Amino acid sequence: MIELRRITKSYKTEKGINVVLDDVSAIFPKGENFGILGRNGAGKSTLLRIISGVEMPDYGEVVRKGRISWPLGFSGGFNGSLSGEENCRFVARIYGEDIDRVVEFATEFSELGQYFHMPIRTYSSGMKARLAFGLSMAIDFNIYLVDEVTAVGDKRFQEKCRLAFEERQARSSVLMVSHNLKTITQYCKRAAVLDQGKLTFYDSIKEARLHYDA
Amino acid sequence: MSLVRGLAVQTEIVHAILLRETRTRFGAHQLGYLWAFIEPLLWIATFYGLFWLAGRTPPHGMDLVGFLATGIVPFLLFRETTHRVLVAISSNKALLFYPQVRPLDLVLARSILEMGTFLGVFVVLLGGAALLRGQLRIDNPLLVLLGLTMAGLLGTTLGLVLCALSVYTTVVERLAGPLLRPFFWVSGVFFSANDLPSQIRELLLWNPVMHAVELVRDGTFAGYTARYADLKFPFFVILCLAFAGLTLERVARAKLELT
Repeated sequence: MIELRRITKSYKTEKGINVVLDDVSAIFPKGENFGILGRNGAGKSTLLRIISGVEMPDYGEVVRKGRISWPLGFSGGFNGSLSGEENCRFVARIYGEDIDRVVEFATEFSELGQYFHMPIRTYSSGMKARLAFGLSMAIDFNIYLVDEVTAVGDKRFQEKCRLAFEERQARSSVLMVSHNLKTITQYCKRAAVLDQGKLTFYDSIKEARLHYDA
Repeated sequence: MSLVRGLAVQTEIVHAILLRETRTRFGAHQLGYLWAFIEPLLWIATFYGLFWLAGRTPPHGMDLVGFLATGIVPFLLFRETTHRVLVAISSNKALLFYPQVRPLDLVLARSILEMGTFLGVFVVLLGGAALLRGQLRIDNPLLVLLGLTMAGLLGTTLGLVLCALSVYTTVVERLAGPLLRPFFWVSGVFFSANDLPSQIRELLLWNPVMHAVELVRDGTFAGYTARYADLKFPFFVILCLAFAGLTLERVARAKLELT
């Protein structure tokens, strides 16, 4: 379970203060996939980083229960000069997992072939996302924080991700942010829309879509 | 989470970062660990040549190579630790993507790696010098360790202050080089406090790095006593810098943006 209590976050820009999250409170219960829709720059990634705990809100607090992943996205989390395998070993260590098992799982899932042993800086953004995805799947999280990343790669890899999540539905759920309604629809039955610092909840994707398209 | 459990997790994380830092610090080059020896060896060779040309002899009770090694190693330990801790966050931002990794863990891992590295360099250099001379004697190993730790902690805490400031402005990274350069000339790398005129000595003893160098020499050579080296003053400086650095880091943490 994740609970947001009156989260406020703003950034200083040249044009003044930009309030990205304005007094946002919410509860995301465990066991249910949930989507957050927002346009580019609406603050989706910021929200996800605050939820995961890598960034701090200006005000408010986040209550987390269960094991929650780092924000899975295109960027961040990997050291460019080390290989995919070395990065996996590091992550396995800091999460206290069996290193060999994690490496084996990530190799197999990410389908990077020889690239797995090459420095991350030689990867395309799609390959990085695949590695992040395979790696996170090797660790049993209760909630996966996903930042657009499933929209990556070919149809077959997308399908593989979806199946992997379906398989572990009983013990894990997904909290996903995206600007793309289609991606959210594939995973979630309910969604919220992030717009101008406010998070509005809807009981179905259909209702969310009405608000989002408007 | 209990304190013990928390500490165990933190130790594991610092350990993981340490392994990774070792790979990126030494693994990227063909020569690997040898790089750590190149700079001190170059300095020793240069000053050996200069001393020989000028007909200068090392201060009483020391051999020239040992004298130079005991000066350059603590100094480089101080300088390298400051530099590497200063950029601990900016060169490792990717790691902060994992919620359990904190900026302080990055600082700690780098500090441990530098101290370990230069301790190794020190042992190998003195061992090498002893092989040439045919005998190895370190008068008081604990005092040597204390001096090296002092140099490492001075670098760590100064680096921490600069690192926290660098979150606010990139000027810090650019200023650090010029700021640290004078230390090379006033830390007793190629002279000893005992031989200085009292007025200059009083002035130079305000530099805490000088005390570290003096302690290392006192501990290494049976015939040398660092009459003017003090423990209280340098550790007081370390304490002040640590307090300032930790406070600044807490404030800077909220400012840190990951993209």
